[in-house]
Amino acid sequence: MTSPASSSEVKYLIESSEGNTFDVSGAALRQSNTFNAMFLNIGADGPIPFTDYNEATLKKVFEYCEHSVNEENYSGPKHQDDLSKWDLNFFNEMDQKMFIDVINASNFLDIERLTSYCCERIARMLRGKNTQEMIKVITLPTAEELEAKQKVEEKKAAAAKKVAEKAAETAEKTETLEELPVQQLVQTTRNKLTRKYLSFSNE
Amino acid sequence: MPPFPLLRLPQLVLCKVFRSLNIEEKIKLSICSKKISFQINNDRMYSQKVIVSLDMINKQIRVHSENDEDTFKVFIDLDIRKRNYSKQQFSIACRTVKVMSTRKKFKMYWKNYQEGFLSSIRHLLKMFQCKVSTSFICHGSDIFQPTISTLFDLQVEFETLCIHFKRSKDENLLWNQISNNLGLVENLTISSVPDIDFTPVFTSWPQQISIMNSAWFTRESLLTCPCTTITLWNSNLENKDLDEIFRKWRAGELPNLKYLKIHNLSFTDNGEHILGMNLRDLNGMVIQTDDGSKKATIELRFLWMIEMNVTPFE
Repeated sequence: MTSPASSSEVKYLIESSEGNTFDVSGAALRQSNTFNAMFLNIGADGPIPFTDYNEATLKKVFEYCEHSVNEENYSGPKHQDDLSKWDLNFFNEMDQKMFIDVINASNFLDIERLTSYCCERIARMLRGKNTQEMIKVITLPTAEELEAKQKVEEKKAAAAKKVAEKAAETAEKTETLEELPVQQLVQTTRNKLTRKYLSFSNE
Repeated sequence: MPPFPLLRLPQLVLCKVFRSLNIEEKIKLSICSKKISFQINNDRMYSQKVIVSLDMINKQIRVHSENDEDTFKVFIDLDIRKRNYSKQQFSIACRTVKVMSTRKKFKMYWKNYQEGFLSSIRHLLKMFQCKVSTSFICHGSDIFQPTISTLFDLQVEFETLCIHFKRSKDENLLWNQISNNLGLVENLTISSVPDIDFTPVFTSWPQQISIMNSAWFTRESLLTCPCTTITLWNSNLENKDLDEIFRKWRAGELPNLKYLKIHNLSFTDNGEHILGMNLRDLNGMVIQTDDGSKKATIELRFLWMIEMNVTPFE
């Protein structure tokens, strides 16, 4: 599915790590700054590959985005007590593994509102506890686990690079736009993604 | 629910989590492990602005936000084995120390108070990249001078530093050490017992200075002072000194000055003119620099306190 995304009716195809595809509205996708940087103005030629995340995780993330389409513009993190019933249900029905996957995907897609709510939820696990209780709440990783985390980050950086290349390739193929603006868009997209790639690498 | 793998979160997410925590939660979390402490320190540039206030008499360090809304006290005590509280060992500033962390109190047990203060301050400064503050209450403590001396060696910045001279050789030694490093101090407050024969010599200056018994701070000292705020209590300056200070300010001296307050019980309205006027007539007067860049309002609080507020011309 391709389309220059300017209206909320436009649907985009998303590809998950299993190779499955499903569609998401342009309005929901626009909550992702990563998407905005890559595809918003130039459209996508074929499914958008977010292949570092499984279908269940991506669907969960975009369920949140679809829900918050009509909410007012995001204005900083809310306190957990201010979350709506729907928000609370959304978080409560996830197990820990899904919650972590959603944080990771939300962070990669740069969905500010969802990431902030997730972070506030984690902070709440530590709130009102003494040091010993905090140690019980969190797992302290071993050296091997930290090494594995680094490898995952490197893999994600490579995936981000791949997506960036695809976006740039798509931009080059786009014929509906004037030649000069497309080149500018490609350059802007490359610059943004290079910055994102570098930030991943630095982590 | 199984333990949450906090450190496996991406760096950006971890930073956002830390930013959601208040000072107390961050300090308690920071001693859980060296890895967590390292991650919190990495995020310090984006941390809320805090001040570490030392209270050596009550053996506590108060860590608080600028507006004082978020505040947490760390208590320093001696590690005496007889005490049988529930304590756990943690690593703080590369030292293993027993800590009692309850929901309301956070107490660390060190071999001696000085080590306790210095190690705790180091840990907190790494976490928050902040400034240290002292008050006059610290002067009753034996560990004040060696601690401050070490902090200056470490080039720690001070929000407020209070120095009290009471005829001790140690104070003179401390002053000689810090007087060329006062650029590290935002607000310096100096007090001294009356008739002290030690006159501090400045080889560097803080941003703001307040001197309690300022008889030793002469007109010449004032005219060389580059501070933005100068407050002198119990000054010996006279009308003729004020006249010269105002005239020189108009000519462009004291270029950094924004606020000057001089308290002197012997200012008199005895006909000694200041800027060609009687002292009493100065109240509310606006003067300006010769180059027209700044103006200053002079106000008199009774006859023994004169204030000068400088504002640039629009």
